[in-house]
Amino acid sequence: MNPLLKIKGLKTGFRYKKGRSVSLHRDLNFDLFKGQFITVLGPNGAGKSTLLKTLLGYQKALGGEVFYGNTPLESIPVKELAKRTAVVLTDKLDESFLTVYDIVATGRYPYTGITGRLTEQDDEVIREAVAMVEMTDFITRYFHHLSDGEKQKVMIARAVAQKTPLIILDEPVAYVDAPSKIEIMELLLTLSHEHGIGILMATHDLEAAVRFSDRLWLLGSRGEIAEGSPQELLENGVINRFFDKNNIILNREKIIFEKKLKI
Amino acid sequence: MHKQGRTGIWFLIFSVLTAVLFLANLWYGSVLISWKDVLAVLVGQSGEDSVYEVIILNYRLPQAITALAVGIALSVAGLVLQTVFRNPLAGPSVLGISSGASLGVAIVVSAGSLAGLELLNQSYLVFDIPLVLAAVTGSLLVLLIIIFVAQRISNVVTILIIGIMIGYTVSAVVGVIQFFSREEELHAYILWGLGSFSKTNNAQAIFLLVISVLLTIVVLSYSKGLNALLLGTAYARSSGINVKVTQNMLLVVAGLLVALGTVFTGPVAFVGLAVPHLARNFFKTSAHGLLIPAVIVMGASLTLACNLAAKLPGYDTSLPINAVTSLIGAPVVIWVIVKRGKVKKT
Repeated sequence: MNPLLKIKGLKTGFRYKKGRSVSLHRDLNFDLFKGQFITVLGPNGAGKSTLLKTLLGYQKALGGEVFYGNTPLESIPVKELAKRTAVVLTDKLDESFLTVYDIVATGRYPYTGITGRLTEQDDEVIREAVAMVEMTDFITRYFHHLSDGEKQKVMIARAVAQKTPLIILDEPVAYVDAPSKIEIMELLLTLSHEHGIGILMATHDLEAAVRFSDRLWLLGSRGEIAEGSPQELLENGVINRFFDKNNIILNREKIIFEKKLKI
Repeated sequence: MHKQGRTGIWFLIFSVLTAVLFLANLWYGSVLISWKDVLAVLVGQSGEDSVYEVIILNYRLPQAITALAVGIALSVAGLVLQTVFRNPLAGPSVLGISSGASLGVAIVVSAGSLAGLELLNQSYLVFDIPLVLAAVTGSLLVLLIIIFVAQRISNVVTILIIGIMIGYTVSAVVGVIQFFSREEELHAYILWGLGSFSKTNNAQAIFLLVISVLLTIVVLSYSKGLNALLLGTAYARSSGINVKVTQNMLLVVAGLLVALGTVFTGPVAFVGLAVPHLARNFFKTSAHGLLIPAVIVMGASLTLACNLAAKLPGYDTSLPINAVTSLIGAPVVIWVIVKRGKVKKT
């Protein structure tokens, strides 16, 4: 089976003027298959968002290749890419009179004509997506009157309405309260395991990542890389190396950070 | 899909209002003409009283058409600027685009005066093509600078301040040009700067209306891109929108609309800034498929109403339209800022 997303020898980082560049991670080799829930995990500032932006073509790679199916990223037009992957970003939306329905409808844009007129089928897809995130009662509400958790669910509905085989999410639970966090993570799990959608999520939330994802792509702040299932990365202590600070260590049984005991 | 009843009712109200105000503009003026006579002229049965025919068809009709066209052009342009720059306080005059058009006009007028032509006077009709071109060039030039800045600085307030500064700079250049102009040109230019819908003949007014409507149709065809841009450029791109192409296309159309709305009438302040806010608050939507038609009917009724208000009873001449729209528009802007402040607090 071909992976949905294949990363080959990728080097991420920033390019400045006069040919200078700063690389964050080099020689990334990862695959993401249908129905997999993968988390890009690492401390703040490690370069998770940079990796996601590179995968989406928002930012140029310093080297290596990204494939969607068999097609290299740089030969996929914007409109075509929108049919292969949907996104949930950390960008805050400006205040407006857009309703939940209006927002989710933008997920159908890759399939509509130039005016964006929605067909009955589009309408059905939009309502299904809203129902999937359990926001049907809110469908005519203004987006800006919702809580952060509800807003995030609407953005996920928008991604679902886009009917892509892959959804990429950047820190989807960073600003939401604890119950909403679990709700959203369960939702992503359902999308991947029951609907066969590939999920690639970046987060610094270790507990959520370990509890819900099939595999972890670890990115360290000094360019370290690791890959594996949460279980093996916990047991072999690799996660500790990526997260431990001077006096704070990870308790592997409870998956919480604690102050190191002086021996 | 929803709330369509309410949107439909407001749309009907403002469409009727536009029609009523248009007719009122034909009826009301320094010469009293009865409703019956106005209708008689319109259906072509004015009979002997051909003075009324001249007043209505040659003076009031082009004025009403111009007010209608400028209202549409500036309001649609304002909406596009606010969405593309993601800035509620963006507008043709705030970003200095109107000033750019004024500069173009000032340069052509004084160049014409050096060549012995009086472009802003009676011979206006013959020479309106260079004026239109100059206004278009001026406004697009300012837009180009704003786009250049916007690509490097993402802070909306900074872009606004730079737009305002460009406006000042351009006005200063206009001032210098005026200093070297002859008194007659200066007078003509100052009158132009006060704004008036009464300087067009029927041909110019219809030209203005047709081009404004055509450009508005172009904007309507981009309502999908405009909606996507409301979510920010990254989300717009993820919806399959080619962001750069869409933004640039829309800004060029907005620049053309501002230039058109400025060159025949002089700068008309605040319409482009205020109408999109009024439309959003009446129609309670930001979806451009509905918002653009809403902005059209509200912009048209606003300028037609302003033109009526400018005709003081008992006076032969009208108030400068720029002053009337500012009196109405400035409070709207204050209201927007205060309202946003409240929303943030609660």
